[in-house]
Amino acid sequence: MCENDKKVVTIPEVATIVEIKDEIQDVKTFYLKFDNPDIDKNFKIKSGQFVMLTVFGAGESAISLPPSPENDRFHLSVKRVGKVTDALHKLEVGDKVGIRGPFGNGFPFEELKGKNLIYVAGGIGLIPLRSSIVHALQHREDFGRIIVLLGARTPADLMYQYNIEEWLKIEGFECYVTVDQATPDWKGETGFVHYLIEKANVPVENSVAFVCGPPIMFNSVIGELMKRGMKDDAILSTLERHMKCGIGKCQHCSIGRTLVCTDGPVYSFKQIKTLGEQI
Amino acid sequence: MYLIEKSKVMTIADELAKEYELYGPVVDKAAGQVFFDRVEGSGDISLMAEIPALPPKATVFPQIESIMKYKYDRETKNAVIEPVFSEAKKALFGLRPCDLAGIICLDRFFIGQEFVDDVYLEHRKRMFIVTNTCVVPFKQCFCVCTDSGPDADEGYDLNLTEAGEFYLVESGSEKGAAMIEKLGLAKAGDEYRKIKKDVVDKSISLFEDLTTDNKAWISRVMNRITTGFIKDDVWEYVGKQCFECGACTFVCPSCSCFNIEDHNRFDKSTDRLRTWDSCSFEGYTNMAGDHNPRKPVEDRRNKRFFCKLSYSQSKKYLRPGCVGCGRCQWVCPGDIGLPNVVTYIRREITE
Repeated sequence: MCENDKKVVTIPEVATIVEIKDEIQDVKTFYLKFDNPDIDKNFKIKSGQFVMLTVFGAGESAISLPPSPENDRFHLSVKRVGKVTDALHKLEVGDKVGIRGPFGNGFPFEELKGKNLIYVAGGIGLIPLRSSIVHALQHREDFGRIIVLLGARTPADLMYQYNIEEWLKIEGFECYVTVDQATPDWKGETGFVHYLIEKANVPVENSVAFVCGPPIMFNSVIGELMKRGMKDDAILSTLERHMKCGIGKCQHCSIGRTLVCTDGPVYSFKQIKTLGEQI
Repeated sequence: MYLIEKSKVMTIADELAKEYELYGPVVDKAAGQVFFDRVEGSGDISLMAEIPALPPKATVFPQIESIMKYKYDRETKNAVIEPVFSEAKKALFGLRPCDLAGIICLDRFFIGQEFVDDVYLEHRKRMFIVTNTCVVPFKQCFCVCTDSGPDADEGYDLNLTEAGEFYLVESGSEKGAAMIEKLGLAKAGDEYRKIKKDVVDKSISLFEDLTTDNKAWISRVMNRITTGFIKDDVWEYVGKQCFECGACTFVCPSCSCFNIEDHNRFDKSTDRLRTWDSCSFEGYTNMAGDHNPRKPVEDRRNKRFFCKLSYSQSKKYLRPGCVGCGRCQWVCPGDIGLPNVVTYIRREITE
């Protein structure tokens, strides 16, 4: 096939794992490099997109992209939860994987200039938001306040701690952290992440909130933001669904009238309300 | 429009068999059922047979197919990926108009959108389609309600209409016109247009009253489903009746959900298989980590009717997703085939 060099979207490209970093329990970051140098050079992503990752012999999964669109190494942070991710965690540096993508709409950054950006993440919900945080910090002057509110089950479950320390050096970056269960040496906040909204005195005027986390956290955070007067179209979230093809054909990821792979994964809360389905 | 004598109509199939893999409606003698199957010659094909038990969608979208092979050797770190595409040239002979509408839905869904599905395209692009106008409707047919019959108006290469001692032959593509020229068919005069219209009108008049009565209701129900003004009771009832067997989706000419699974072989190579899937199955939306956003059956079961009758899905097919073949009604053990669900919603609207 492949007439006129048209890309066949159903066939993955081979990539090599060049580095593996242990993050928190059950989460590892895999730094990847495409074997085909042309693809490696031209691989462009948008914040909020995802790729389809093939672990040879195990299967394919949709994985969100944490690297920033600009000068960031291509990597994926993956939690071990099922068959494919389990097999991925057993791989070592030098092993090959398959990548299709990137797919999905991504965050609408062109419309967000000049606004305050509020990130609310629960646990590994920070992974899909990392790309956009790094992007925003690289263009710090384009935005108002940049606030990250982070919740995790225990202090050991906080993602990207080394990144956050680095970001805190950037002027005007605010980060608030809370955990559900504190350990004896934990000196920070305890409680659920939506309590931080009050504490951070989150601005609602000219602001956009990015929310990602488990459904129960999602609902309480949205409730709190709306109570403070945030508009429903100013709350963005990236959703997760069982996905097989990534190109809008298998229909496993349908929510209401939309498909998460082609119409999402980024939805505004205004859209989510009209879909008539559980998150 | 051209003419071919009834006794010679199979010469079209014979001519196609020289170049194509021939598929057509075959009456299974043991079961008495009609299947749309691969045939060696035209002898087995019956143009008079009723609508096949299964739609011909398997010719463009097989129940199980390998879309890719790969082999990864962890010792040498060598990965070889090999795409698998169908190279067969298929001719579908004697396709019913509703089944053609199903294939048109799939075409627009798989090829006519942002991403082109190459696996489907390879099945489809060398295909020759000969449709057969339904001169009488079969039981449970309601294509008049969904604008897909009893005669086909687009998408075919050749269209046959039985009229007395002749079949009227129309060509719908260059390939079809070339075939007519090859066979040297006689041109039909203008009076045959009227004859064809009479045949089709007669066929429409033979549909059961219930069906024609339902016609207006289908568009009404499409409106209701799109706007979401349907009481939860209706979906709860539909959910209660559902056996979660998936039969309706497998016999539907326009249902195209699939699953992808990697199947390891003993020689360490792997086949990536694409298989039919059904939105009625519980595992359909179950994510890793066991979070299932559509756990109750009524949450899943109404999705099929959204797919067939909502405006947002019709935008992808550029026609209603339902083609009016009535197969889901035949096979459903829970009595919630599409026409029945339309009736339930209709009752709810009128009450």
